[in-house]
Amino acid sequence: MADAPSSISSRKGVPAAQAPGNPVRDVRGPIKRLYSSVRDGRGFDIVLVAFPLGFLFLMAGLPLLYNVLMSFQEVDMFSLGTLMRPFVGLKNYRDLFAQPETLPILANTAIFVAGSIAGQFLIGFGLALFFWVNFPGASWLRGLFLVSWVMPGLVVGAIWNWILSGDFGVLNFVLREGGVISGNIFWRSDPNYSLYAVILANIWLGTAFNMILLSVGLSAIPADLYEAAELDGANAWQRFWTITLPMMRSTIGAIIALGLIFTLQQFDLFAAITSGGPNNSSNVTQYWAWEQSFRQYDFAKGATISVLMIIFVMIASVVYVRSTRHEVRG
Amino acid sequence: MTKQIELSGVNKYYGAYHALKNINLSIEKGTFVALVGPSGCGKSTLLRSLAGLESISTGDLKIAGELMNKVPPRKRDIAMVFQSYALYPHMTVEQNLTYSLRIRGVAKAEAKKAAEEVAATTGLSHLLGRYPRELSGGQRQRVAMSRAIIRHPKAFLFDEPLSNLDAALRVHMRKEIRTLHDRLHATSVYVTHDQIEAMTMADHVVVMKDGVIEQQGAPLELYDRPANKFVAGFIGSPAMNFVPATVGEDGRSLAVDIGEKQTIALDRQLQPGRKVTAGLRPEHLHFVEPGQGVFRLPVGIVETTGSATYITTSTATEVTVVDTTRRPVGAGDVIDVSIRPADVHIFDAETGLRV
Amino acid sequence: MTETNRNRLMLLIALVMAAIYLFPLYWMYITALKSGSEMFATPPTFWPSVPQWSTYAFVWESRGMGRYLWNSLVIASGAVVLITVLGVGCAYVLARYRNGWVDVGLFLILMLQVLPASLMITPIFVGFSQLGMLDYPRLAVIIAIAAKSMPFFVVLVRATFMAVPMELEEAALVDGNSRVGAFFHIVLPLARNGILVSAILIFMQAFGEFVYSKSIIQDIELQPASVGLNSFMGPNTNEWNNIMAYATIYVTPILAIFVLLQRRIVSGLTSGAIK
Repeated sequence: MADAPSSISSRKGVPAAQAPGNPVRDVRGPIKRLYSSVRDGRGFDIVLVAFPLGFLFLMAGLPLLYNVLMSFQEVDMFSLGTLMRPFVGLKNYRDLFAQPETLPILANTAIFVAGSIAGQFLIGFGLALFFWVNFPGASWLRGLFLVSWVMPGLVVGAIWNWILSGDFGVLNFVLREGGVISGNIFWRSDPNYSLYAVILANIWLGTAFNMILLSVGLSAIPADLYEAAELDGANAWQRFWTITLPMMRSTIGAIIALGLIFTLQQFDLFAAITSGGPNNSSNVTQYWAWEQSFRQYDFAKGATISVLMIIFVMIASVVYVRSTRHEVRG
Repeated sequence: MTKQIELSGVNKYYGAYHALKNINLSIEKGTFVALVGPSGCGKSTLLRSLAGLESISTGDLKIAGELMNKVPPRKRDIAMVFQSYALYPHMTVEQNLTYSLRIRGVAKAEAKKAAEEVAATTGLSHLLGRYPRELSGGQRQRVAMSRAIIRHPKAFLFDEPLSNLDAALRVHMRKEIRTLHDRLHATSVYVTHDQIEAMTMADHVVVMKDGVIEQQGAPLELYDRPANKFVAGFIGSPAMNFVPATVGEDGRSLAVDIGEKQTIALDRQLQPGRKVTAGLRPEHLHFVEPGQGVFRLPVGIVETTGSATYITTSTATEVTVVDTTRRPVGAGDVIDVSIRPADVHIFDAETGLRV
Repeated sequence: MTETNRNRLMLLIALVMAAIYLFPLYWMYITALKSGSEMFATPPTFWPSVPQWSTYAFVWESRGMGRYLWNSLVIASGAVVLITVLGVGCAYVLARYRNGWVDVGLFLILMLQVLPASLMITPIFVGFSQLGMLDYPRLAVIIAIAAKSMPFFVVLVRATFMAVPMELEEAALVDGNSRVGAFFHIVLPLARNGILVSAILIFMQAFGEFVYSKSIIQDIELQPASVGLNSFMGPNTNEWNNIMAYATIYVTPILAIFVLLQRRIVSGLTSGAIK
């Protein structure tokens, strides 16, 4: 209905139907009609939405498809400039799983994701519950925690790199003084600890974000529910389990899915703290894929790892969209 | 008189949903028309179609004789007062009032003068520099009205403008809007779900249901001669009593299915034995001495408002009676009431149409 | 316990927790002021004995930070402008309509939002090299960041537009404005704050962006501060006071913006992500 007058509301959820037998014929010229549609009608919306979607398709959609294409090709420095490179079928995928480091890196990724999300969520929930008790200055202080999230990841990595330093790191000093450890832990260079060093930094980085979103969820629970539960005889502990947690279900689902997405995007901390080392002991897929492309110049391998990971990320995001669906629809 | 708004054969579809069904309506210049009906009846859709905020699917819509089907809202020269008032929050009252003038390129000084004139008539002169958030509900309502008035449009459209006000203010604004209409000799279309608003304000009331115009006419015409059961039940408060009835052997009496003595006389001849529904307005049922009346009814619930007492019977088909004489009645009593034959409305039992 | 005392106690606990949580930040600022020997003292000092303010000037000069920060600024500003110009209209349309197409569009946009940059850089790099875009590396990074961050911006700004009542726009149409006019006169001014906050968030993200810049920009003259920091940190560095001085200069402006606009940024962020 390019020539219809403006109908900016479609409250009923279905677009207005093309009505049969409209007695009115539009006698204006096509250019004029186009112009008036952009000025007064649906055309305005189409123009507004067409450019960004086109841009996103070109710059995010096409690369995605190109990634899949490259994972079936042989790509090296010489064939980089051409589009039609030798097609190798599933060879890249077979090679990938034949490599000895593949499975440990996938396992590292799983540990990194699980450890980071568990830490961020539990600490974040604890802080959110604490700040939920409203006292003067609570919301300002709570917001201050978010500085960890707005700082560039590389700077966070640099600071933690220094804190986690083996001989002179302040963390080792604190742990020694507290009697937790007797000798220094070489967080970055000991293969047993290097992955946990990054997890620690990532928990610090993501906790505040978790807390803020959980706070929003908590404050959305109507206060009279708690009053009713209190009158019904529930104590604080029972109220938490029977009111707070069930009411927070969709928020918690969304936050965990979001944490999964953010954790799988984490790259800067690896670049700044361990570079995936020593000997891949702290390497994860998202860093490994980049290493293959930009350290080994094996772009096909990098693309292959990316395709596998992107499929996984997309599944996570479907979970996220589903858990926020009622809110997305408004 | 000239026709200011004319709708002929208008239909509106949202996908498969048929929102307006063959609407025919013509509004003469200077009249105040109320569109009334339950929520979802299409009255708001109809109003928005007049404004151009919705496009009609088929049919013709003319304003001041010109075909408006495909004309965008800004070229229709109509003004609208929204339920939420839709005052621009980032503009002062004066800027809100003059917005439409500035868009049309009216000179600044002239627009300011117009705003001051309108503000003087609506009592907003001292508020011109304020922002909408600094106004009370009634003041916002006045700004919304003034914003419409300032343009001297071909028609005013009102979309439930009083529903956000408290009861006392609503009654007051009702009169104010009507006074304004008369003074401006304006053409107004007023959407409301409140039949009292429609009856008290309008020259012409249009009752809608499910996208169809059920009846239109002068307020008393609708009250006295409702075209069907829906209109009869919708207009008037408390609502009309409906009781199943059968026309007697002679065709001039009605056997009604409540109370002890159940036959009422008719002022017209009907087919004997016909099944009908009798409509009895609560205010038309009057008390009589025991044995003199038509109905003997056991009392169920008594509610009083001070000026009137609503008595609901405990019969199988509940009947409401209004009494304004402070008669001492309590639950369990038996009352004797009667009705004039001319006040009995009769509807076909199946179609619900007036007989 | 009275209300006031309880509040004081809560505030005290909160301050202690904030102090622990923000200790890494404190450690960055303190280390930057320590001398080379104090830095490696055991036990470590928690307040510099003689603050070395000259470290800042030294790092600024020796690392060429002016150039790095300028490049970061160019890249972040370019990305914000591109994202704002394209994203605002998109967010508006997605906020105004409720139908199947909008759901599909929103879903696709959310999908694009989640693609990790380090995984997308491979095809983007190869594609850009084929198109010759690598000759304009900063522009290439701006475009890549825009594609990555625009979905997030659209989601945030859409929430802002949804808070603008549709009646206002309809009133403007009836008052004689066109769709274009109503959009610029009524809707945009009312959504201005939300758009501004979202743009600031995007700016802060782009200012610290690393993966794309590291991979695409080879010329040290054009690299942003994140890449500069990365090359500063060799595997066996012991210049931690200098590195922390660099980090301080890099993040302090961002932290200042954040602390000043904290309330708005937090509320803008939460409205888009969950609500």
